Amino acid sequence: MHHLFIVMVIGGAIIWALTIGVLAYAGRTRPKPMSVRGASRLIVWGGVAFPVIVLFLLLSYAVWLMPQVRPWLPGAMDGTAEIEVTGEQFWWRILYLDQAGKPAFETANELHLPVGRRTTFRLKAADVIHSFWIPALGGKMDMIPGRDNTLSLEPTKAGIYRGPCAEFCGTSHALMAFSVVVMEEADYLAWRAARTQAPVAPQKTSGQELFFRHGCAACHAIAGTPAIGRIGPDLTAVGERQTLAAGTLSNTPDSMIRFIRDPASIKPGVKMPAFGMLPDGDIEAISAWLGGLK
Amino acid sequence: MLIRWRHLLAALVALPVLGLMVAWLGLIPVGASGGHWAATDWFLHWVMRNSVRTAALDTKTPPLNNAAMLPLAAGHFETGCALCHGSPVQKRSAAALAMLPPPPDLAEVVPTWTDAQLFEIVQHGVRFTGMPYWPTRDREDEVWAMVAFLRQLPDMDGPTYLRLSGLATPIQDGTLRPPALACDSCHAETRLDGNGLIPGLAGQSEAYLLESLRAYADGTRPSGVMQAAISGLEPDSFHDLARFYAGQARQSLPPAQSEPALLDHGRRLAEAGDAGRRIPACLTCHDRADGNPAFPVLSGQSAPYLESQLRLFAAKTRGGGAYADLMIPAAENLEERDIEALAAYFSSR
Repeated sequence: MHHLFIVMVIGGAIIWALTIGVLAYAGRTRPKPMSVRGASRLIVWGGVAFPVIVLFLLLSYAVWLMPQVRPWLPGAMDGTAEIEVTGEQFWWRILYLDQAGKPAFETANELHLPVGRRTTFRLKAADVIHSFWIPALGGKMDMIPGRDNTLSLEPTKAGIYRGPCAEFCGTSHALMAFSVVVMEEADYLAWRAARTQAPVAPQKTSGQELFFRHGCAACHAIAGTPAIGRIGPDLTAVGERQTLAAGTLSNTPDSMIRFIRDPASIKPGVKMPAFGMLPDGDIEAISAWLGGLK
Repeated sequence: MLIRWRHLLAALVALPVLGLMVAWLGLIPVGASGGHWAATDWFLHWVMRNSVRTAALDTKTPPLNNAAMLPLAAGHFETGCALCHGSPVQKRSAAALAMLPPPPDLAEVVPTWTDAQLFEIVQHGVRFTGMPYWPTRDREDEVWAMVAFLRQLPDMDGPTYLRLSGLATPIQDGTLRPPALACDSCHAETRLDGNGLIPGLAGQSEAYLLESLRAYADGTRPSGVMQAAISGLEPDSFHDLARFYAGQARQSLPPAQSEPALLDHGRRLAEAGDAGRRIPACLTCHDRADGNPAFPVLSGQSAPYLESQLRLFAAKTRGGGAYADLMIPAAENLEERDIEALAAYFSSR
């Protein structure tokens, strides 16, 4: 990969030096009128033959390099991805898969990735075209309804990154992002194991009772509880996420309350209905319970 | 003398002034007792028939051969229409006949109109007559039920009318207060056969019934039938009515026969929803022991009522209490078969 950089720097430097050299030469000499024949030859060699040869060489080099830039990994070829991400208006459904390609667990709006290892994604869209892009980690790839696209990324540095939706998808397109937590392999495996093992039912609180009483479970799932709704984002361990509302709000109790009360005031066009008719105390209790899910 | 342009002009100014003078002096009779001149009467009816015919040109008539529509319409007819038009059990009174124009005997005039024309008359009323318009424009389903009933009316005998309109409902146990008696003529458990558009109220939560009454009263849940039915009630009585029906016991009816595949489809949607089509599971909110009491009980409700409500939610015109709008995203992705399946499932549950 770094050969590309060196080749481009050296090639660019040579062409730059040539151009500047010709410019300097033209400025110093007294131009004499050229013959028609001489001018034609200059144009044919300098204006046609030279660019054709240079561009041909560059293209050949790029085609030769392509398999190394976007390697056809085994996973990319046979579709055995590790993570399936589905773009929905206006959030990300994230499905972690096991070795056999079967769903292991679902989450939303936050990816966890191991550092120093290539991860293959299967990208889908539920409604309109979205685009999956983590600028710090690699190129973007469209998510197209009815089609599975494949992308693989290899993070080289642990940390927290951000990925926006890179294809206009509706009124809250600009408010559709996700966070990416890149962790050491051991931490990543521990995180996966914690998500995969039979979850312990969260402690019963009034917030949990109210969550079910008001029907939140119709759309949201929380592992370890009877909530299995799959229309909206999975809320398992929502308390540990960096952001709420798909990268739109910082994850604080206040944000959660605001979003439950009137989601469309934060994300226009959001599918979740407003729950402002609930008593304030109920919204606060539900938010507190959700915020404590880790 | 020659008639010149200025004479014509003077007459043009003078005539309206003269007309206004006649009106101002009170020389135009408005008493109904004199009746219309035959020419006026013919002209008004001619205009009215033409107007209704034109208005009904692009009105699409739904299937009306549906017995579920009749009790709802008959109950409303008895309280709203029979006073003027009479009914199979009571002729038009002398007071009604003294109106100008007198409300017609429906047995005679209904056959002269098409279904679409009857719809236009019932929905919009008739100007310069006593015929009122339907209290809301958002409930064409109710108006069509009335048209279905009107179609049956000319041949209806007294006992059938009494049964359909609820007049024959016996007072249940003598403990009802008068307002509940009025509600009972339609909503009494003994009257419901589980197959009409009228919902059963017994066993609903007090909170839901109270929210619904308030929503009908302030128009956030549009219904010509219910707005007419409760317009005479004091809002203070809503609490008592809600408590009364919340405390009533459900009658057990033999479940309606439905195609097993339809019931099974309904059960799966109710229990698990269909995430791919964004249809949430009904039972995550409804009919839960620990559920919000403002969410109505669906089990045992009549299938035609459930279907009508789901269609209204999908059309965003159902309205209701503070929680009602939650049903719009839940219902808007239902297809006709889903609606029928859910109604069949819950009515048999």
